[in-house]
Amino acid sequence: MRLLILAALVGCGGDLDQPWDLDHDRIVAIRANPPAILSGETSEIDGLVAAKGALTMERSPDQVIVAKPESLASALTFDNGKWIVTAPDEAALDAARTELGLEAGASVPLQLGVAYGETLFGLKSVALGNTAPNPVLGVMRIDGSEAPAPTTEIVVGKLVDVPLLVEANEDDDVNWLTSCGTMHDFDLPSAYLRVEVEDLTEGELAVVLRDPTGGVTWQVWPIRAE
Amino acid sequence: MRIPVVVAVVTSTSLALAQPPEASPPQEAPPAQKVPTTGRVVDMLGKPLRGVKVGIEGTTERVTTDAQGRFVLSAPIGASLVFEFDSYQTSLATVTGDPLGDIVLLNASMGETIELKGEAPPAAPGAAQLDRTELQRVPGTGGDIVRALTIMPGVVNLQIPLGYSGVVIRGASPQDSKVLIDGFEVPVLFHNIGFRAVTPAETIATLDFIPGGFDVAYGRASSGIVSLTTRPGGNKRAAQAEVSFIDGGLIAQGPAGGKTEYLVALRRSTIDFVLPALIPDSVDLSLTTVPRYWDEQIRIDHRLNARWKLLFANLGTDDIFELVASKQEDAKDKRFFNRTRFMRNTIGAKYHEGEWTADLGLSLLLQQFVFELGSNQFIDNKLTSLTPRVEITRTAAKAAGLTDVVWRTGAEVQVGRYAIDLALPVEPREGEPMPEIDFDDTSTRFNGTVYTPDFVGWTAVTGNLDKTIRATTGVRADFFGRARQLAIQPRGEVQVKVAKPWAVRLAAGSYHRPPQYQSEILEKNLQSEKSLQTILGVQYEPREGLRAQLSGYYTDRTSLITHGAPPPPGSSRVDSGLVNEGRGTSVGGELLATYRGGPWFGWLSYSYSHSTRIDAPGQPKRLFTFDQPHSLNAAASWKKGKWTLGGRFQVYSGLPFTPALGSIFDSDRNIHIPLYADPNSERAPIHHQLDLRVDRSWKAGPVRLTGFLDIQNVYMNTSVVTFFYNYDFTQRSAFESLPIIPSIGLRGEL
Repeated sequence: MRLLILAALVGCGGDLDQPWDLDHDRIVAIRANPPAILSGETSEIDGLVAAKGALTMERSPDQVIVAKPESLASALTFDNGKWIVTAPDEAALDAARTELGLEAGASVPLQLGVAYGETLFGLKSVALGNTAPNPVLGVMRIDGSEAPAPTTEIVVGKLVDVPLLVEANEDDDVNWLTSCGTMHDFDLPSAYLRVEVEDLTEGELAVVLRDPTGGVTWQVWPIRAE
Repeated sequence: MRIPVVVAVVTSTSLALAQPPEASPPQEAPPAQKVPTTGRVVDMLGKPLRGVKVGIEGTTERVTTDAQGRFVLSAPIGASLVFEFDSYQTSLATVTGDPLGDIVLLNASMGETIELKGEAPPAAPGAAQLDRTELQRVPGTGGDIVRALTIMPGVVNLQIPLGYSGVVIRGASPQDSKVLIDGFEVPVLFHNIGFRAVTPAETIATLDFIPGGFDVAYGRASSGIVSLTTRPGGNKRAAQAEVSFIDGGLIAQGPAGGKTEYLVALRRSTIDFVLPALIPDSVDLSLTTVPRYWDEQIRIDHRLNARWKLLFANLGTDDIFELVASKQEDAKDKRFFNRTRFMRNTIGAKYHEGEWTADLGLSLLLQQFVFELGSNQFIDNKLTSLTPRVEITRTAAKAAGLTDVVWRTGAEVQVGRYAIDLALPVEPREGEPMPEIDFDDTSTRFNGTVYTPDFVGWTAVTGNLDKTIRATTGVRADFFGRARQLAIQPRGEVQVKVAKPWAVRLAAGSYHRPPQYQSEILEKNLQSEKSLQTILGVQYEPREGLRAQLSGYYTDRTSLITHGAPPPPGSSRVDSGLVNEGRGTSVGGELLATYRGGPWFGWLSYSYSHSTRIDAPGQPKRLFTFDQPHSLNAAASWKKGKWTLGGRFQVYSGLPFTPALGSIFDSDRNIHIPLYADPNSERAPIHHQLDLRVDRSWKAGPVRLTGFLDIQNVYMNTSVVTFFYNYDFTQRSAFESLPIIPSIGLRGEL
């Protein structure tokens, strides 16, 4: 067990796709916008999805279901191609609190099962009876300069360490991801990218920031190494 | 079962008695009955020695060996025979009623060495014993005890040790078997790095491997026993140093006054000096504390008078390891820290006079295990355990219609105090696949003290029913204080000498393991795990030095500690409760053939095993995680003059594992929750390898040097040990055995 944990920690695993790899079919993040809502408010569900040999996309899930509590299944609707959660009234929330064994007044986590196609499955919670926004990305620096706008291509050198930095709170969870180069310290606010000889020289660079309350935000840039 | 053994211990001249394992489950004391005793005395090369004086200690009776090195004399069972010959070290042997086999005399110039020759009957059907010289000679083991265990029949063979004991015996988890040093349990057998035993082979007299059917004096285990006996220091001052790429150590020994002997050993890893240079710069790793270990041993033997011998033994070890999986040393979320250390201090006294023998022991264990992962997960477990023990043995030539009777009775108290502070995820049990790695998961929390006051008493009688049948019957009663459980465990064995050279042995018994392994200690209501073992063995000894034994076993396991019925597929486990709802069986057969003659040492073992588990009533039967159907080990070594050459070939089945089918991405926790197929429904492929070893000795002034080269996996066969999965469980990569592992070292003896 210790060996397996250690192997996971130091990233053993031969030629396996790494957790920072965007050139891989995967759900990068699922977003509820906003992540916490009061009775009567709505939250839209979408996600950032990566695919092997293709660009990442922000899109609505193909399927969403309420995993629990079952009594709030009607809080989820599909309207105009969007999955929308509407927080029910306080009576329904109280019933849900009882179902989940929560204290009075506590926010109710509505756990959603999310599917993209037939192979990518995810879980996402929306806090009902509470209010909170998604986080906002603060200062970001790439290769020592302020990060450009999302659509602006980033050009980096090959075989050099390209420092990446994003401002984050201690409790935040940061992931740097790429399909161009090899990412180091991908799960730290301060990471670095290095494009090795065998790496793809064109692709995308992304940063995803999660806060402890379920909020998430991201940014994606095109990137090229030369 | 321990029955009267045919043991000859070659040791120093200053000891009045041969040295049985101090404070270990005692050997039966002899009756005063005189029996004809035969044997042969040879030198290190197996050449018979003529004119060796063989006498009964404490008497003037003496005979001399003939041209073939043979002798015959009449001596009481239990008496010590003294072997004296010019230019050779004086040796001792214990009379047991059976032929003594070969007594090997060492040249006086060779320094103090203890060897065990003249094979004793195994402690149980299927059991085996290796002495220190053999431990060091088995190729592919690097002279190490842990690796030497892998040649034993019934031991699961794998390139990496399993669990803290590293020993999986007869389809049971590592914690189901106990590792004893000088009769007392040690919590850890090997170091984290290098997988070396915590005690060097040079300080060991014998290694007893009892895969099942063990005596009532052994307990708290439901599978097997590995019992190491350290050696006393001898009556001649000597020092020894050894260094290799893995570790280096010093041993000093000798007399202190006329009645006292000492042995001091100290060893430190050297691999930590080498390892940083082997890690490429491209790896995101900071070895904050390079993995390193220390271990030390002190043994003092004192002969108080003709009846009493005293012993002080100290054994300690300290492993520490810290890394950060990043070049940024302050990245505390990516930090891994582990420290394992323990110290065991034992004082013992042995009394022997006539028909009575008493063994007294008091042992204190201090242990600490610290494990920290990331910013949130940790365990700090400090154990203080005190164990007083007494065993009394009475022998009689005749009693109650039996002959050569041995009666033993003993008692032990083991009081443990665990001071535990932990915050960890729910620990997976045997058979459960590895859960998602979530460094923020601290669903198991505890900060407090746990006491485990355990009490045990045992008694057993061994006697001959007639000339061909010898039987042992006994009972052990454990009271596990934390569980408030009384466990009565009857055990017995019958040995029948069918017709020379054949013997048949049948052993059966009940065994309990208390719930004191990892998170089990946190649960108040758990009972012990139980096993019922039945073992049938056939032994064939056509001539001295050659032995073959075939054994078959069936073990029924109940009250196994599990999580009960598993959670529905795809869901995270939220219930950490443990229950005694598991069942299991192990069935198998083993063949062990050994040859010890002249310069040759040969070993052939084959094991077949099939072990299954049911985790809760109504659950399907599955393979045991360490189920290894086939395991073959063939080893031979040859010693001539300054050279010793050896080889070992091994082939064994891969272990089962649970394949992952995919995962569900928990976006808020940013982890992938694996989805698994049926438990242990795939198996790693078969593995085979050849190991070679060569030793050469020479003298440089007063120092006797021995250089050795031990190469594992000579033809560089790689095979899958297990699989690692990528982060979302859609790809897997084989964790393969290392293609070739050379070990080179130098040992100097003064």
